[in-house]
Amino acid sequence: MESFKAILIKEFRHIFRDVRTLVLIFAMPIVLVVLFGHTIRNEISNIKIAVLDYSQDTYSKLLIEKMTASTYFKLTKQLNSESEIEQAFQQGIIHMAIVIPRNFEESIVRFKSTDIQLITEASNINVATTLESYGKQIIKDFEKEINKNHSNYIPFDVNVKMQYNPSLESAYMFIPGNIALIMIIVTALMTSITLAREKETGSWNMLAITPVNQLTMVIAKIIPYMLISLICTAIVILLGIFMFNMPMKGSFALLTIVCILFMLTACSIGILISVITKTQQEAMLLCMLGLFLPALLLSGFIFPIENMPWAIQIFSYIVPATWFIVALKDIMIKGAGLITVWLPVAILTATTIILIVVSVKKLMSKNIS
Amino acid sequence: MEYTIVVKNLTKKFGDFTSVNNISFKVKKGEIFGLLGANGAGKTTTIRMLCGLLIPTSGMMEIAGYNVFTHGKEIRKCIGYMSQKFSLYEDLTIIENLELFGTIYNIPKKILQKRILNIIARLNIRDFANSKVLSLPLGQKQKLAFATALIHKPEIVFLDEPTSGVDPLVRRDFWNMIYESASQGITIIVTTHYMDEAEYCNRLCFMSNGKIEVIGNPNKLKEKYKVASMTEVFQKITNR
Repeated sequence: MESFKAILIKEFRHIFRDVRTLVLIFAMPIVLVVLFGHTIRNEISNIKIAVLDYSQDTYSKLLIEKMTASTYFKLTKQLNSESEIEQAFQQGIIHMAIVIPRNFEESIVRFKSTDIQLITEASNINVATTLESYGKQIIKDFEKEINKNHSNYIPFDVNVKMQYNPSLESAYMFIPGNIALIMIIVTALMTSITLAREKETGSWNMLAITPVNQLTMVIAKIIPYMLISLICTAIVILLGIFMFNMPMKGSFALLTIVCILFMLTACSIGILISVITKTQQEAMLLCMLGLFLPALLLSGFIFPIENMPWAIQIFSYIVPATWFIVALKDIMIKGAGLITVWLPVAILTATTIILIVVSVKKLMSKNIS
Repeated sequence: MEYTIVVKNLTKKFGDFTSVNNISFKVKKGEIFGLLGANGAGKTTTIRMLCGLLIPTSGMMEIAGYNVFTHGKEIRKCIGYMSQKFSLYEDLTIIENLELFGTIYNIPKKILQKRILNIIARLNIRDFANSKVLSLPLGQKQKLAFATALIHKPEIVFLDEPTSGVDPLVRRDFWNMIYESASQGITIIVTTHYMDEAEYCNRLCFMSNGKIEVIGNPNKLKEKYKVASMTEVFQKITNR
């Protein structure tokens, strides 16, 4: 126990003395979230919109025409009542709805004030605000156009409402995806590098000839990184909730359990990688190719799994990050309980157990007794 | 006669390559036993097997009366090891390094503090005690690594090319430390490239291609080959 503590303290010292790496580790979740939050799904073209036109007159038709004339928006549905707006969002067939009030033409002609409502799908706050500003700009252009010869017109009162749409949850994928990436970087990559570094410098041998067994050594070395990865995960979740309006409908306890579970999965992979590699570079490459890239490309984080060829889909379902993302999404967005996410949780648990058994066996086989 | 190390028919193969080929030797308590040979002769592999860092392909080893295969844990308590690479933690201070290894060996706190003070005084590094190992000159680092390998008062210390790259003055200092330890009854197994260092050993074991060519006292070896220096002994053996 004393020696366990000694190695643990030593590892914390390594981490805190390497200030640059420490800053990088904590800056990473922030950079990743902001970066992915702003880059993914941010280009606006052919955004599906619906129109609820209470006026059905020349000007309202002109406005709709103007809206859909741009490549930004595509009219997919004409609505007839307020309740259909909600429905269309629920079905996930639109990202924005425009409501044109009664007597639109009359108001314009008589220089009376009138309001137009834009309802945007708010699951990705960035997309929503972009849609809003595009929509407002088009309405403004329209306003100028029809009032070319008048100066005393009353501008439209554009009223924006954001609406959350549960079926378009993929927009939130970047939060669970980022958590997966960070877990992999901090837990798997960092632990395999720190273990490989000890091998490279020869200090591993200094420890290996002491009475401390290798398992104690490895666990003591890994714990600091586990803590750091949990802190980073908390940063991502908080950023997601407060900066990107990610819903958090499920229980925090279950979320924490699933995060810890995936952290253990990443850890066991990290140990396995460090057991089979000899240098830091090898460990880094293996982590990148075997963990980071699959988590980035195959997990459904950036590219939807449904759209992949079936052969690649098989790989997708082997990648632990895929299951982690599924579970996180269900808990946070759908408010799922353990009963709903039992499959991903079971798969992650099984994977972790198998990996730990394999890596511990590999580790112990290097010891004589 | 009391032997602290008994090696019988020890062999280590890496795939098709036989690094250590059926070697046998015995080392007495308090002896300074030198392993000599060109690079790739099998010295480091032998030492690594004796420390329990490598599993032999076949053969028998007994260290401090324990069988390596069945009593690894007991052996670990009574051996020290220092490798050709400097293997203390450079980003930890001298005291932190000593405390780390002392604690790992379960040395009671009070005794450990006393030993650490002794080491710092002996190596004359009080000014460096709280600075990172990184800032020490190489010679001092090597001496500190040796002191660290001795912190738990082991019965046997394995030194794998402890003085490579160190200037002659520090090497002499280093060998004084080795003699001091041997006089306290600690058995020392040392590999080296330097022939002048070979003269300091009580007994030498020349290895080439994984086999033992000859074992003996330096002076007796010189007599046997009728030459004046160990360099010539080495040449005679390797040219054979």
